[in-house]
Amino acid sequence: MGADVVVIGAGPSGLAAAAMLAEAGRQVQVIARGHGFTHWAAGGIDVLGRLPAGDEAGAGEPVERPLEALGRLPDGHPYSLVGEGALLAGIGHVRALTDRAGIELVGDPAVNRSQITGIGTRRTTALLQTQGDGALAGRVAAIGFAGFEDFSSHLCADRLQRIGLDAVPIEIPLPQGFRGRHVNAVELARAFDGREFRGAVAGTLGRAAAGADVCVVPAVIGLANAAEAWADLQELAGLRVVEAALPPPSIPGLRLFDAWRERLSELGVGWRLGLPAIGAERDGDRVTAVLGEGASGPVRIPCDEVVLATGGVAGGGIETYRDGTLAETVLGLPIDGFAHRSEFLAADFFGSHRLAQAGVRVNRELRPVDRAGAPVLGNVRVIGTQLAGHDPTAEGSREGVGLATAARAAELLAGARARG
Amino acid sequence: MLRETDVVVIGGGATGTAVLWDLALRGIEAVLVDRSDLGTGTSGRWHGELHSGARYAVNDLPSARECVEENAVLRRIAPHTIEDTGGFFILLPEHDLGYGDRFVTGCAETGVPCEEVDPAAARREEPALTDRIERAFWVPTDGSMDAWRLLWSMAYGAEARGGRVLVHHPVVGFERDGDGRVSAVRVHDLVGGRGRTIGCRWVINAAGAWAGRIGAMAGAPFRMVPDKGVMVVMADRYVRSLVTHCRMPTDGDIIVPAYDAAILGTTSTEADDADDPSVAPLEIDLIIDQTAKLVPAIAHGRALRAYSGHRPLYDPVQGEAGGHGRSVSRTFTVLDHEPGDGVPNLLSIVGGKLTTSRQMAQKVVDVMVAKRGEERPCTTAITPLPGAEQGIRQPTRPLARPSAAAGQADGPLACECELITRRTIEEAVGAGVTQLDDLRRQYRLGFGPTQGGGCGWRAAAVVAARRPDVGDPLANLRLFMQERWRGLRAVAWGQAAVQALRNDAIYRGILALDTVEREPGEDEQIQAAATGDDWSGPRQAGPGRGVGGEGLTGDTEGRRATDAGPPGGPRGPLPEPTEGGR
Repeated sequence: MGADVVVIGAGPSGLAAAAMLAEAGRQVQVIARGHGFTHWAAGGIDVLGRLPAGDEAGAGEPVERPLEALGRLPDGHPYSLVGEGALLAGIGHVRALTDRAGIELVGDPAVNRSQITGIGTRRTTALLQTQGDGALAGRVAAIGFAGFEDFSSHLCADRLQRIGLDAVPIEIPLPQGFRGRHVNAVELARAFDGREFRGAVAGTLGRAAAGADVCVVPAVIGLANAAEAWADLQELAGLRVVEAALPPPSIPGLRLFDAWRERLSELGVGWRLGLPAIGAERDGDRVTAVLGEGASGPVRIPCDEVVLATGGVAGGGIETYRDGTLAETVLGLPIDGFAHRSEFLAADFFGSHRLAQAGVRVNRELRPVDRAGAPVLGNVRVIGTQLAGHDPTAEGSREGVGLATAARAAELLAGARARG
Repeated sequence: MLRETDVVVIGGGATGTAVLWDLALRGIEAVLVDRSDLGTGTSGRWHGELHSGARYAVNDLPSARECVEENAVLRRIAPHTIEDTGGFFILLPEHDLGYGDRFVTGCAETGVPCEEVDPAAARREEPALTDRIERAFWVPTDGSMDAWRLLWSMAYGAEARGGRVLVHHPVVGFERDGDGRVSAVRVHDLVGGRGRTIGCRWVINAAGAWAGRIGAMAGAPFRMVPDKGVMVVMADRYVRSLVTHCRMPTDGDIIVPAYDAAILGTTSTEADDADDPSVAPLEIDLIIDQTAKLVPAIAHGRALRAYSGHRPLYDPVQGEAGGHGRSVSRTFTVLDHEPGDGVPNLLSIVGGKLTTSRQMAQKVVDVMVAKRGEERPCTTAITPLPGAEQGIRQPTRPLARPSAAAGQADGPLACECELITRRTIEEAVGAGVTQLDDLRRQYRLGFGPTQGGGCGWRAAAVVAARRPDVGDPLANLRLFMQERWRGLRAVAWGQAAVQALRNDAIYRGILALDTVEREPGEDEQIQAAATGDDWSGPRQAGPGRGVGGEGLTGDTEGRRATDAGPPGGPRGPLPEPTEGGR
């Protein structure tokens, strides 16, 4: 199972890095504990929605033009380390990926857009799948599907009414076979991949929401054939349909994941999901093999280079302890802890949480560094939310940072051909 | 003033609710008012130990005897609120070894059943126990109690007999006639946003740690000493039975298994303000370190949250430096405000603990009935509560509201951690429980490992669909999540820290709940509630200072930061009634 490059982690940054490295001709192996934040995000590319908060009480200033705002970020921010070029390269990668997979990604990293959520609020993002794009105006129908609990037409319509829209909640039954029972997002999305199912739903929808200028539906309209499902549904119902972002599992996120997974497969990238990395073998300052936790014992994966994309605290890449200290879980990289744990999180749920910004500090080559700024391992690059100096949630920078740092890592490693 | 009822009971904790139930059984008309929901004060913020009396068998014999009596009564009238766990008292090598014999003698003297068992046998029963056991004692009548269940059973029972419960109705004043009698209680309906005056013959003040404030409002001031105790909830149960340090009661002594969690308690710190919900990290550390001496796995376990409650200790020596915390007896007192304060129809019931709340109610109503020259004997000790027919509680049984039992069995889940169906929530919302935080107490919504991460928006959806008239459902949701955050933040290391950031990723990252406009004053409330959660620690840290008993009254969960009122309500002094206000 050895490879030139072992990518640890299968979130947006690890997936993108693996694909870009393989496209550059490297032999790549991905290992990961499980799925990453594709499944936990809205399925678009958040680049920068807010500047970092100055203090823990205040929220950061909203950003309208992410590229212009990059210059206002602090020096240690991942964007500051890798630069706008890397971000654009990363976005170029994901555009090509989605084009190939038939996912239409709209938007531009230069200008933020807003995306409707399942509770009727608007979230800020830069690029999103076309199904979730589009202004809400005129008569809006919030469409719930009976038996699907993770979207409420009432909750969504209530919020839209409160911001002054003419919105009504409409609950429609699902076709035979889905009646009188609970249905989850993945099951529903797969059902929409089927022509017959969506035809039946479209009929019901067309009657129930007749006269609406736009229908807000949960983001479950198809998985493998999502574009077709969405186009069909609109045509058959005679209505404009906009998908609202939902809590996990995110179907738009799964579409992106599947696109990456397919691409990695085409590129011959090794793939082991369910194999958590638990350590490494070293020779001096180089990692010579990554150790995975196999069912019957450690699995050894020899490598020349390691790309660490294990996520921050939320992704499981960093452990936190009662005494305020932190540890990077795979390689034991240096990581700044806190004097005590009461500094981890702000009192306000929506405040600025220092723990969310915790991570591995790196230099401009994405090599982990010690306190003095000296690289600690010669052949390790760290990318994505594992990096110190940014809060992917509060800033709304998760995918942007993941793509930018993945692109930078791929650029650096593409040139450094495997030795021997 | 038109008389609306006979007795107004102030306070919807264990005591007040027991008073309402007691009055209903004696055929006395009554209205209970509470500033928030039932069980939001101390009764909702304890560790859940149904005392056998063993905890007090050495240092507070009167309390021990009360517990022995009431333990037997509660098993008779409210078995469905009790998990019949029994308990181990564990003497460790570092403890005062002489305490073991004093403990045995004390139990014998006070009638607490107690049997010494071989340490190896104790470990066979409870494999999670430490192997460093010097002596082990089995106390079969220790139990784990769901106070909310007890409260709602009493409230439902009372309502079936004509009693009335007005939650979210803080008392704002009293009307008194020429001879000093209270003729009416003025309350403010926080949900309806209007004032209301309840004419009555008698008032029973059962406001617990807040009773002094009510007394002062009625012209009968006295001093309560709120005594703060901190609890930590663990995601695992660890033990089948209660496990207690066999030593002079002090901090971090007990492990109470409750449903599939364990509650670790507790501390004892004199507090200035019973509304201060803060939890100092040092107290959490102390509790975890102390209880881990009994069950070592706790040291590396996953904590779910931490919370604090205030024992309503009564300080009869006003203004003097009366003993605090464990040196004040955990027994109770009825205050007759006729002789000292000239309020002939006001009684206050103070002190005590949840285990003895029924007895407290009996005593205060006995005093009232005697003063009124009536013959109405108490029957609460022999009358089973609604739900008692279910028998001893099993951890998997459905919860309080009787009608919910049917809906609990099937249908989609709204809360995967606590297995609460959507239908259950729909029934509750239909019955008027519209604040998510109130749903939490009645149905354990948001009690599991995700602390609302998976259920909050689903519950908000039910409220939005069923009760569009009760305000912004997203504000409701945000307050619920802020309250969950408070307790989660206190224990946010390890898996709890991961959960905290994932909840942030859902509610801010995907759902943009942070963009919903806040209520005026909400930011200040959040910051104020967090004061004291910092590293400064408890004011009197360290075990071994106490000499009194133990026994916080109330159950297993946290009240939100805004408990001085409902969502958006003011904090601190109770509001003056306004017309048409919030």
